[in-house]
This record gives sequence, C-alpha cells and structure tokens, in this order.
Amino acid sequence: MKISTKQILKLLYILSWIIFVGVCIEAGGSIFSAFYTLVINPINAATFWAGNDLSALYKYDPGHFFGETLLISIASVMKACIFYLVIKILHDKKLNMSQPFSSEVRLFIIKVSCLTFGIAFFTEWGVKYTEWLVRQGVKMPDTQHLRLGGADVWLFMSVTLFVIAQIFKRGIEIQTENELTV
Amino acid sequence: MPIVVNLDVMMAKRKMSLNELSEKVDLTLANLSILKTGKAKAVRFSTLEAICKALDCQPGDILEYKKEE
Repeated sequence: MKISTKQILKLLYILSWIIFVGVCIEAGGSIFSAFYTLVINPINAATFWAGNDLSALYKYDPGHFFGETLLISIASVMKACIFYLVIKILHDKKLNMSQPFSSEVRLFIIKVSCLTFGIAFFTEWGVKYTEWLVRQGVKMPDTQHLRLGGADVWLFMSVTLFVIAQIFKRGIEIQTENELTV
Repeated sequence: MPIVVNLDVMMAKRKMSLNELSEKVDLTLANLSILKTGKAKAVRFSTLEAICKALDCQPGDILEYKKEE
C-alpha cells in the first residue's frame, strides 16, 4: 500500500492535536500550580506540577519561586504556541504540495524559528537560574524534570529553521519565476 | 521591466484573436494573457518559435527593449 502525502499530513494533523492538548495541559498546569501556590496555598509548592518538589525554593524566597515558575511557564506556553501554529497551517490547508513555496509557509517557518529561539533562551536562562539557586543551597529538582532541559537542541532547531526560511525565500522567487515562464 | 512585449500589436496586424493564437501555438489562454500583459518573467525559445511561426514574424517584432527612465 502506498502512503500518500495527504495521508501523512492527515496523520501529522491528528498527532499535532494530541501533542497540542498535552502541551496546553502542561502549560496550564504549571501556570495554575504557580498561581495556586503563590496566592492560595503555599503547601502546594511541595507537589508542584508533574510532581516536582519546589517547597525548598518557596521557603527560600517566594520571589525566586515566582521567577523560576515564570520561566517554566513561558517555555511551556511557547511550546503550545508552536503546536498551535502547526495545527493552524495544517487546518487551513496552506501546505500545497504542487506549489510548496509560499509566503504563508515561509512566515510559518519564521514564526516557529522565533518561538524555538525564545524557548532556547528561556530554558537556558531557567537552567542557569536553577544552577545559581542550587549554589545558594536551595534543594532543587533536576532541570529535565522542570521541563527546562535541551536549550541547545531548541537553539539548533531555531537556527536550522531560520536557514530553511531563507531557502524558502529563494524558493518562492524561483517558483514565481517558473509560474510566469511562458 | 525594460523588455516590452508587443504581442497585441502583432496580433492586431495579423488580425488574429487570442483564442486563435492559443490554438495555433498550443498555449493556454492564461499563459498567453500573462505574456500579452507583460507579466511574464521569461519566454521559452519553443514558445517564441511557435508564436513567430503562427504570426509570421520575427522575435524582434514581439519583443522590444526600452530604456527605463
């Protein structure tokens, strides 16, 4: 059985929806957990989102707790934004395989590139911040568990996507030229 | 663009419609329209040959260079 591009895109669309729901729950969960700890019940810091114990951090300083959870939340929201963009482009059927080079797709790649750069920036910042807190004697969970790992991978992805966006720019020009060749 | 396409002038001289030319040169009306309105970025030699044959003219009768001001 031959798998067509249409079927692959359909599968990607379904997968993107599943991942989008997952990252939205993660982003919402970490934001709510931070809000709940800071505003309603500080005991919640011990069972912060995904079972991370941030009670030591909260006891050390609620301000630093806010800073750390803010970085985690920003990275999570940005991940959700990436999958929103993926779903949007697949839903709007902007991917035309007969004429793949379009300004919409280029804009999509640039947006994802910027978002991945943002994730790389905030996760790296989060890692450095966590390391600094550990040096201050605060018992912190592993950065991987705090969803702050892999800043270098995000940065690599961002640069790669930016290069692809530049290639797309030339691709659009060549495609337009080809369309207007009689 | 400094290259001007005088296809409409030659068609008028030969009293040939766009539909008729389209059938003779085996090009779509849309593509001929792109050429006629000067939107074309490039012209294939095969297309130019077919148009010259159909209109009984030289490539210079269809394409003209005008300096940009």
